[in-house]
Amino acid sequence: MFDRDPAGVRIELRGLTKHYPGQPAPAVDNVNLDIPAGELVVFVGPSGCGKTTTMKMINRLVEPTSGEIRIGGEDVLNLHPDELRRHIGYAIQQVGLFPHLTVGENVALVPKLLGWPAAKVADRVEELLSLVNLEPGAYHDRYPRQLSGGQQQRVGVARALAADPPVMLMDEPFGATDPITREHLQSEFAKLQKKLRKTIIFVTHDFEEAITLGDRIAVLRERSHIAQYDTPANILAAPADDYVAGFIGQDATLKRLALLTVDDVPAVGPVPSSNGLPRVDAGTSLREALDTMVAHGSDRCATPSGVLTYTALCEAVGTDGAKTGHEEVAAGDR
Amino acid sequence: MTFGEYVVSRWGTLSLAAAEHALVVAIAIGIATVVGVGIGLLGFQAPKVRGASLALSAGILTIPSLALLTLLIPITGLGWGPTLVALTGYAFLPIIRNTVTGLDGVDAATVEAGRGMGLSAARVLLKVRLPLAWPLILTGVRVSAQMLIGIAAIAAYVDGPGLGTQIFEGLARLGSVNSLNATLAGTLGIVVIAVLFDAFFFAVRQLTTPRGLRVRP
Ligand SMILES: Nc1ncnc2c1ncn2[C@@H]1O[C@H](COP(=O)(O)OP(=O)(O)OP(=O)(O)O)[C@@H](O)[C@H]1O
Ligand SMILES: [Mg+2]
Repeated sequence: MFDRDPAGVRIELRGLTKHYPGQPAPAVDNVNLDIPAGELVVFVGPSGCGKTTTMKMINRLVEPTSGEIRIGGEDVLNLHPDELRRHIGYAIQQVGLFPHLTVGENVALVPKLLGWPAAKVADRVEELLSLVNLEPGAYHDRYPRQLSGGQQQRVGVARALAADPPVMLMDEPFGATDPITREHLQSEFAKLQKKLRKTIIFVTHDFEEAITLGDRIAVLRERSHIAQYDTPANILAAPADDYVAGFIGQDATLKRLALLTVDDVPAVGPVPSSNGLPRVDAGTSLREALDTMVAHGSDRCATPSGVLTYTALCEAVGTDGAKTGHEEVAAGDR
Repeated sequence: MTFGEYVVSRWGTLSLAAAEHALVVAIAIGIATVVGVGIGLLGFQAPKVRGASLALSAGILTIPSLALLTLLIPITGLGWGPTLVALTGYAFLPIIRNTVTGLDGVDAATVEAGRGMGLSAARVLLKVRLPLAWPLILTGVRVSAQMLIGIAAIAAYVDGPGLGTQIFEGLARLGSVNSLNATLAGTLGIVVIAVLFDAFFFAVRQLTTPRGLRVRP
């Protein structure tokens, strides 16, 4: 199976179409998409545009009407669906933990199916619970009903990661939580993915979430037609059309500021001593830096490497909408 | 003779009748549970089996017990035979219906997650749906048992086992010595058996319901 490849696997969709029986039009119509190995690609689009259907064809929970799916070069439609799915992590908004099994048993399920030795399974469960910030001692033997919604979603993610699949499909995995928990789960997950470098398809209809998590974003319109497929920075800088622009919303520039950090902008001047400028830490987003400046009524702030000015900040996001070097760096960094 | 004296003097007969009453119900329930849950599992995947089995078991329930017992005599003779067959037949509907409903009622997301993780359809049915449906299935078995305990009394008409004999003998000799005592003893005995069965099912429910379903959030 495709998971032997240490460099990760790429996913290719070719002419992928799904026409549900009895429906006047296909739900997914002739989708062509390449998802590079080790990248997180977000499908974003309005409700009913076919995000879930497209994703479910990849693990064959939905059988394509026509088209081709390749994972790591392997034709998915030639594999046994159950065998295929054991090598693809799957997390959904409703989580769907097995209520009669403990947290530990839920996470251990796929590794056991794959015939891992018991000791290795036990170690893996411990490791995963820690990875999603659930203290194994406290949560291993609990039942799903004894967890909060956010904790259940963490277990859902841990379970999807259990057998270390090279590919993950995630359908609004943080959707059922309150905004604060969601933001928290998102940032944790972003960190996690930096380490794991799995090939992930992540569905959401929250554009903010797409920007936060995506290496690339596929903005979909009805029938899963791809309106634009690019890095978050490029989509924000140059939306392909009004549809995409509408999706981004009014504050595209602020969103772009959120993508860059103070480390991406060359600082002017020497490292300032305590000269009264508001200070920000390394890794602070430009959006937060701007917030700090505005809050202090200053047009500059001190970063660990120098002084960040309002002008430099404006240049970083380029008012003409052209790509800037910094954005390339930002996109490449993610 | 007071009721107490009656019970003491007939203790041997009464306790034997009560034991047989409980036994015939237990056997019928045992068979109906194994077969009924099996049919429910089959019917869950095959809508035709589901429709046919539900219609048939509902049909059986509409036949008056006296008529069914009598109709069975040419086939099974008198006594235990017709009693067991009729009771088993009556037990199916609640068991099959609750099995199908329970399997059906399992949260769609749980099933989707299971399939999405690579559990086969059979594994999802047996390892996910069945344990989650189990409390409801058990409720069906319990309803059937309560129903059979009452119906089993009628079996006295075909010379079947159980406490029915006491009741009908008493009713037949109404006004004579001990007739009321006999009827009362039979009726109370049945109530006691019903209570004991209920206690039994309560214990089984506690012991066999997956712990994850019993925990309070
Ligand atoms: N099993 C099905 N049978 C028939 N039509 C379906 C089925 N599943 C989805 N559809 C239709 O296909 C279209 C795409 O559905 P899909 O669930 O993929 O959308 P989505 O983009 O995931 O939406 P949401 O954001 O609301 O989850 C919709 O019009 C939907 O009604
Ligand atoms: Mg969806």
